[in-house]
Amino acid sequence: MNVIASPAPTISPASPQAQKVGAEASCPVGMLTLFAGALLWLLAASLLGLRTSLNFHAPTFLAGHGYLSYGRVHAAQNAALLYGFGVPSALGVGLWLLCRLGRTTLAGPAIVFIGAIFWNTAVALGVGAVLCGGGTGFDGFELPAWCAPLLFVAYLMIGLCGLLTFHQREAGPLYPSQWFVVGSFFWFPWIFSTAALLLLCVPARGVLQATTAWWYVRNFDTVFLGFAGLASAFYFIPKILGRPLRSHYQAALAFWTLALFGSWGGMPDGAPLPSWIISLGVVGTVLTAVPILTVATNFYQTVRADLNALDADPTLRFTYVGLMFWIIAGAQQIVGALPRVSVVTDFTWFGAAQEELFHYGFFALTVFGALYYIVPRLLGLDQGAWCPKLLKWHFRLTFLGVLFSYISLLVAGIGQGILLANSGNSFVDVMRRTMFPVRFNLTGDLLVVLGTILFLLNFAGVLVAAYRRCCAERKGCA
Amino acid sequence: MNSGPLLFLGLFATMACSWTGFVLAPQLQLGGLTQTNTVVVGDALSQTYPLAQPGEAHAGSEVYRANACAACHTEMVRPLDLGSDIQRNWGVRRSLAEDYLLAIPVMLGSQRIGPDLANFGRRTDTNGIYLRLYDPRLITQGSVMPPYRFLFETHKIGFFHSTDALVLPDQDAPPPGFEIVPTPQARALAAYLLSLRQDGYLFEAPPPPLPRTNAVPTNAVATNAVPAAAKPAAK
Repeated sequence: MNVIASPAPTISPASPQAQKVGAEASCPVGMLTLFAGALLWLLAASLLGLRTSLNFHAPTFLAGHGYLSYGRVHAAQNAALLYGFGVPSALGVGLWLLCRLGRTTLAGPAIVFIGAIFWNTAVALGVGAVLCGGGTGFDGFELPAWCAPLLFVAYLMIGLCGLLTFHQREAGPLYPSQWFVVGSFFWFPWIFSTAALLLLCVPARGVLQATTAWWYVRNFDTVFLGFAGLASAFYFIPKILGRPLRSHYQAALAFWTLALFGSWGGMPDGAPLPSWIISLGVVGTVLTAVPILTVATNFYQTVRADLNALDADPTLRFTYVGLMFWIIAGAQQIVGALPRVSVVTDFTWFGAAQEELFHYGFFALTVFGALYYIVPRLLGLDQGAWCPKLLKWHFRLTFLGVLFSYISLLVAGIGQGILLANSGNSFVDVMRRTMFPVRFNLTGDLLVVLGTILFLLNFAGVLVAAYRRCCAERKGCA
Repeated sequence: MNSGPLLFLGLFATMACSWTGFVLAPQLQLGGLTQTNTVVVGDALSQTYPLAQPGEAHAGSEVYRANACAACHTEMVRPLDLGSDIQRNWGVRRSLAEDYLLAIPVMLGSQRIGPDLANFGRRTDTNGIYLRLYDPRLITQGSVMPPYRFLFETHKIGFFHSTDALVLPDQDAPPPGFEIVPTPQARALAAYLLSLRQDGYLFEAPPPPLPRTNAVPTNAVATNAVPAAAKPAAK
């Protein structure tokens, strides 16, 4: 399958018509609010993560206050990362891609702005409530019951604007990124409403709550965040390299198989469920090898001739590293689902390592890459608005931090699993031995926090530059 | 792949697939579960299982939820052939869907930084729980569990000592004339943790087979018939 045979070579994002229309012409305030809120929440989540990592160095540290105790902070960190950072950044990047690829302006920018404010307020109230002891007790769905309708309404406000933007696109074939964005925009309200209904409003009977929670978390990560990140990768890598995507057929295969199989699974082996549920989940998880391999070969064939150019542009560098982390995290999820392996690695740090890599390594890096491209253009500036030194160190610190945390947690997870498999090793003894690698996680968290602060500074610098330019233009007019 | 409505329909169909398999079908299979009777072991009588939690234990599950104890503790025992859960004495049998029938919310947990608690009530007592909450390292050297001292209060001793005042070693003891007592939250949490026991043998998880023996059963009825176990082996 070569480039000529791909279904829509004319709408490759490299085409010049896509420039200077669409997103650039829309009102940027809504999207910028989404991005700024997301970055502040990422910093908050990383700081909370620092506090949880400190627990393994000094368990008595800050333990005197209920609202700073390990469990609550862990839940609040998860909520801040997934709902404070994850959803708004997925929405913001998605909206921009829909504008850019549809060559249209954002529909209802004021509603997006109000929705973003509403969403961030709801998350702030929810995270505060979690710290005060109002968490739901479900991992990945921590925000309290009264928060769910607020979040849902805020999401609908932004998501419907996204769909209207998609609807008013210029006629013509769709680019893969558009499928992925539309997919993620639809997926979230479906899974979120199911989880909110069956976990909080009318709690399902007994262990069905646990199945629903596991199913929700798997869908949120693999499909919703996965779609959002891949949409950005499918746009920016071919666009900046100036080469059309190798194959749209392969992209379609990856899209549908990820939607179909990525949404299965998440239940640990041996869970108190009928075994067909767990087996079906394992089958689905293993079959996600299809989208992973398809995406990997598609991108490799796209960039093969220009491997050196990948490091030249910050957006490209963040995006392709994020994509590599996606492949590694996906491979780890498949390996961890195999019955022979899961019996050892279930309930250990192995899963925490995979989540760390998926959320920070894949999703956050991909979003950073997209923001380095999007934010200056939204403000009428060019790529040079970013401070190159801060940018360089942001990449280095975040990359090293993610790698450091990932490797330390992975080593701890495998060690814990292997040691626990032998019932002769007492549990306390195993924990004491696995704490050594876990403690390195703090260094990784620290690097990520520093990197995030640098990015926020750089982001603020770009906003100031845009403001000054705006003032200067007004003076010029007067 | 170029039509919006087609894209929507395709997404809806894939979503429906996953939803049917992992939300609807388990609901159809398990949603109608009700309390059942345990399998009789030895001379014991069959019991209704699971029994409803006492009110204080339910209040304690709210404390467990509020402090996100499930971040470090699971509440499920895997079967004998999966992992070493049963060998570690975390349970006598695997956990089953029936065990969680009356719990709201069901907090199975996802990571074991601390031990599994599915049967914690079988292996501890109230005082042990208080000490673990007040300072985990009093019981388990090298534990990384944070202390939960905000669940306790320091009181001036009145006419009598409180019955549930903590008995602490000298270095942790309160100043003379004072005592450390659990708050109602800690009491509820202890009641919840003590209520955690999955020890009813059910149809899906019968008791382990008794060792084979030729001895006459102790509860053999006086009769002239040769007891089954005493018959000479056929082979």
